[in-house]
Amino acid sequence: MTAAQHDHQSPVDRIAWAKSLILFGMGIYLALLILTGNLDNYINQRFAWLVVVGALLFIVLALTTLNGSLKPKRHDHEHHHYHISWDIILVVAFPLLLAVLIPSRALGIEAVNGGVSLSPVGIAGVARSPLDRNILDWLREFDRASTPAQFNGTAVDVTGFVYREPSHPDGGFMLARFTMSCCVADAFPIGMPVIAAAGEEYTAGEWLRVGGQLKASAFGAEILPIVFADSIERVDEPRQPYLYP
Amino acid sequence: MILSSLGAIDKTNRLKLAGLALLAAILLAAIGYQAYSAERAYTLVLSVFATRFLGIFVEAVPFLLLGSITSGLIETFIKSDDIMRYMPRNRLGAALGGAFLGLVFPVCECGVVPVARRLFKKGSPVSLGVAFLLAAPFMNPIVFASTYIAFGFGPVFIGRIIVTILVAVIVAVVVGSMAKRSAVLKPISLAGEHHDHAHCDHEALSTRAKLMSALTIAGDEFFEMGRFLIFGSILAALMQTLVPQESLLSLGTGPILSVVFMQILAYVLSVCSTVDSFLALAFVNTFTAGAIVSFLSFGPMVDIKSTLMFTGVFRRRIVLYLVLLPFVMNLLSGAVINLLLGYA
Repeated sequence: MTAAQHDHQSPVDRIAWAKSLILFGMGIYLALLILTGNLDNYINQRFAWLVVVGALLFIVLALTTLNGSLKPKRHDHEHHHYHISWDIILVVAFPLLLAVLIPSRALGIEAVNGGVSLSPVGIAGVARSPLDRNILDWLREFDRASTPAQFNGTAVDVTGFVYREPSHPDGGFMLARFTMSCCVADAFPIGMPVIAAAGEEYTAGEWLRVGGQLKASAFGAEILPIVFADSIERVDEPRQPYLYP
Repeated sequence: MILSSLGAIDKTNRLKLAGLALLAAILLAAIGYQAYSAERAYTLVLSVFATRFLGIFVEAVPFLLLGSITSGLIETFIKSDDIMRYMPRNRLGAALGGAFLGLVFPVCECGVVPVARRLFKKGSPVSLGVAFLLAAPFMNPIVFASTYIAFGFGPVFIGRIIVTILVAVIVAVVVGSMAKRSAVLKPISLAGEHHDHAHCDHEALSTRAKLMSALTIAGDEFFEMGRFLIFGSILAALMQTLVPQESLLSLGTGPILSVVFMQILAYVLSVCSTVDSFLALAFVNTFTAGAIVSFLSFGPMVDIKSTLMFTGVFRRRIVLYLVLLPFVMNLLSGAVINLLLGYA
């Protein structure tokens, strides 16, 4: 018992310092995600307030942990229910390590793992006029429609990244976006078929703004409403790269 | 005595951490192989992994913090006797009480584990704690609301409530009658029984001191549980980066297979219970109704990250039961729903 109590003196102090350092680090990391806008790469904006709460709680816990380590040990010992060892601290530091070492990026073409879906995700959103509709809005319209020919001649203006499969027709590709309901755990790639005069020019993963008209036509095995492009513009990745169902 | 037992825990934890580190190393090697074989630059695969991991972590960590603080507050402000006083004595009653306790402590699956462990430490019966652990991530006002918004008041919403309560209560009674507390719970979840009563007289402290104490405990709780959340998020992110979603989706037909695959998907995706309804909507056209209900009932009970967090509370054999029993029972429920709705 006495030997163990001696153990508690200096090493536990250092551990308490490490704990509060990590807690501060986490709080600052979350705050930076919000301030830099990089948070949009990871979670749905709807839940940004949760990250604000998280950042504040981390700072509070960092301060109380620091405060606890400065107080005389006699009292603290009684409350020391867990033995937090260095290996635990290393594991908990892992997210910070990853955040510092690897530049923050949204999911893009490299994350498409097994195809891009032609079906919409989530419940019906806000009704928008045709030119304001994004890829998700359009897939919802298609899902509701009785026949793909219903949209023939309608003008579209959509932004997404190029996705290709060998089965796509000449000049054809899919303009894709990731949807995100909650966080990247549920990110799901969806897309609209596009046919353009010089469609081969565009490399997979490139972000494009495509203007054109819809026409029901064959794309692979199915008859689908397809965007026949009049204008294609190379654009930067949008500040909010995901679509929120 | 207490300190020597802490030493022993530390040793087994270290072994477990070494095992998990090995697993992580194997999966990291898998990233390398995938990059090599699919000719994806390994930096890109690593970048996708980092985005997926940090996304899951950032979304889950506020809930873990709230759960840790709730745990700290329970420790300092609620007397062990209080919980016992209001809870039914018999096993079935305690399990039923536990299944509805989420209405009082609204926590999702990242926050539920520290709260459940605190309840155990406070002397809660096994059946109560297990039912709470399995049911609370869905049985709380926030998730009721999100499920209602997504599916309305229909078969999915009602099915989710019935299946969740049924499975949680039955598993809780089975695990509760299987063995003694000490054989079910890890020593660290029992510490309260020898430790708290003897040393910590929280009653004597002022409210401010109690609050400080609660927050200090919450900080430790965060590290204790956070490491399991982090390992779980690593595994979930690796699975999502390496296993094509399509390969699961294409197998999901038939009244029973569809349920099996939706449950595996729920386990692998490890999506937070507060939003899984919106995700499930994506599968409504592809999968049977029973599969959707099972996805929604099983996912919040058990997934990759909560399994790892369970290992911080229960003995290993019990963790196995806590994963397999809900899996089998949700599967049965899903199959029955499909039969009733005539999918067979």
